[in-house]
Amino acid sequence: MDWLQNISITCFAASYAVVFVLEVSRVFFDVSFRKYVRVGFAAAGLFAHTVFLVLQGKLVLASTGLWLGSWLGWCLATAWILALAYIWISIRQPKSVIGLFLIPLLLGLIGLGVGFGHENQFNPMEAKSTWNMIHGSALLLGTAIVALGFVFGVVYVVQSRRLKHKSPQAKYFRLPSLEWLQKSSEYSLIISTVLLAIGLVSGIAINWTHQPDNTLSSGGTIAWSNPVIWSSGILFSWLLLVSVFSFFYQPSRQGRKIAYLVIASFLFLVLELAIVWGVGHATTNSEPGVAQLSQIQLGPEESLRVTEGPTI
Amino acid sequence: MNLQVIGCSHHLSSVATREQLAFTQQQIKPFLNNYYSKFPNSEVVLLSTCNRTEFYTAADKPNVVPRKSELIEFIAEQRGIAATEINSEIFIHQDRQAVKHLFSVASSLDSMVVGEAQILSQVKQAYQLAVETKQTTALIHRVFQSAIRVARRISNETEIHANRVSVPSVAIGVLAKQIFERLENKRILILGAGDMAEETLRYVVHEGGRDFTIINRSIENAKELAAKFNGRVGDWKELERELAIADLVISATGATKAVVGSDLFDLVEEKRKQKPIFILDLAVPRDFEQSISDRLNVYLYTLDDLQKECERNRQSRQSHYPRAQKIINHEADQFFDEIQRRSSGSTIAQLKRQTDNAKQLELDRLMNRLDCISEKQRSEIEQSFNRLVNKILHPPLKSLQTESPQVSGGLLEAMKKLFQLGD
Repeated sequence: MDWLQNISITCFAASYAVVFVLEVSRVFFDVSFRKYVRVGFAAAGLFAHTVFLVLQGKLVLASTGLWLGSWLGWCLATAWILALAYIWISIRQPKSVIGLFLIPLLLGLIGLGVGFGHENQFNPMEAKSTWNMIHGSALLLGTAIVALGFVFGVVYVVQSRRLKHKSPQAKYFRLPSLEWLQKSSEYSLIISTVLLAIGLVSGIAINWTHQPDNTLSSGGTIAWSNPVIWSSGILFSWLLLVSVFSFFYQPSRQGRKIAYLVIASFLFLVLELAIVWGVGHATTNSEPGVAQLSQIQLGPEESLRVTEGPTI
Repeated sequence: MNLQVIGCSHHLSSVATREQLAFTQQQIKPFLNNYYSKFPNSEVVLLSTCNRTEFYTAADKPNVVPRKSELIEFIAEQRGIAATEINSEIFIHQDRQAVKHLFSVASSLDSMVVGEAQILSQVKQAYQLAVETKQTTALIHRVFQSAIRVARRISNETEIHANRVSVPSVAIGVLAKQIFERLENKRILILGAGDMAEETLRYVVHEGGRDFTIINRSIENAKELAAKFNGRVGDWKELERELAIADLVISATGATKAVVGSDLFDLVEEKRKQKPIFILDLAVPRDFEQSISDRLNVYLYTLDDLQKECERNRQSRQSHYPRAQKIINHEADQFFDEIQRRSSGSTIAQLKRQTDNAKQLELDRLMNRLDCISEKQRSEIEQSFNRLVNKILHPPLKSLQTESPQVSGGLLEAMKKLFQLGD
């Protein structure tokens, strides 16, 4: 099974790129066997992606006690969820070209992680507690669901606009029904709110219990002046407000409004992530002797392994 | 080959003639039985649809299928009309043309709406009925089974059936599906109870719609339509309330001006709380004011919008016509080659039998005259006779096998005449 060690980010990114090209080709012509090739490439990409995350994650875990290790790992894990969602949607909505909107987001996340993620390593001392694990996992899932909601929202706006203007449906450019898109957007909004609430509450718990000298105690205070804290608070408040508003005020969860809400939620999330990333939340510089996911070589021809920094 | 088709269709015949010659399912069997009483040595398949009535006749032997005039006389007699009334509007195709025609009909290339799916099942039904009435010839079996196969091939290899072309089918089968995931749980409001409303409702039911409310000025017509589709009848006074809860509205009233104006829709919109609504305004003049189309989450399609979509789909189907026609020509050629091969095979076998018999007779006569010859000499003579027969037959048989079907067909006929072979 040594060949599994050779799987690189390039392998699955290339598979997803092929899927994207196949999705684009669906707009222009129809070939009966393409769906099998498309789902096959997506599945192959997902397999390689999974193997990569598991193998490299294990090494990073052994070295640092962290599962993802850095923002690169975090971006790859989010992209993995989106790839899984793509396959699910391909099975549920085989005729729609929703991948045309989803795959670029997925590739963008991989690109973002590869381009900038290696600069920010998670702080092993901060990230090992249960609260931190809950915090990270909930935010990871929440981000992926908000991103999915964004895709549903954008597709809703495109489909709704086309129907409103009575534009003819391009021969092969088929999108899911408005009803399906509306329901999916609604679910993504509710689920992401719950997940981000868990993320925020666990973040508060970390702050509450975590003293500057890395000792745990009760009675700590929340640093509201920290940009990460207040921006997370704003994002969560927005999602909560939208969810509550949608629950009590029917028009806000109908048609285009729900689509605009999930798009706005995604934009909030992007802003929030930019702040989190910018202030270096939960991250530190690479420690000597500690393996990092970002240090994995990316070339397909090279064996991928975690390299170790110089030991003191 | 002894196959012909005579009949009428929307291409050549008036509606009046088509109506006179139309057969219901119950009328077909008695007609077929009467046909066999009059023409017992031939066989017939009767295909009767809204746009065509065609009689496919075939026989194993030549000059047995009834002539066009005989058949028209018979049909006119069966329908109780004068033959002269229909004579000029009846077409006839024989052999190759008849086969191509059947292939085109089964593939719906000859239909009024090219690519409509119903015709293939109607062809199958006509064939089935003919088989049930009398044991049909191998030719009828072969030609109808080939037609069904060709129709399926065209359906698989071209997109001639791909796009819907009727207004109700585009509205429900295409547009409604882009708005709603399913119709089972949708409230459907029908304004009007005429033909268009009924036709559209048929598609709604086909797509799973169950919850109907029909509102019509004439309550009797509404009740009749509601009874057909297991729907409810609504009161015209409740229009505002019904519009407020409907997901899909099909409007096809005969009103001379809009029945739902902006003012009424303002009230409806307030109650709907921006829930999406799909309105199919199939009436002329329109039932909904055009400005309603601009409201949020309202998808209003008029007859004009739908007809544009239908026309685009029609053109798309037409673009596949040449490819489908090519398949039909190719399949018809193959069908005839096959028929030719079977036919020449039996003629060759017959010729060989005939020459073998002649050879054996002469051989026996010669052997009776030659008393004192050895077994070896007897064998030499027999082999010599065989070689002679083979050498005589070899050139014509080789020509039959190597020439094109068109040429070999002529040779086959010449051979039958020259050697006096039967069919």
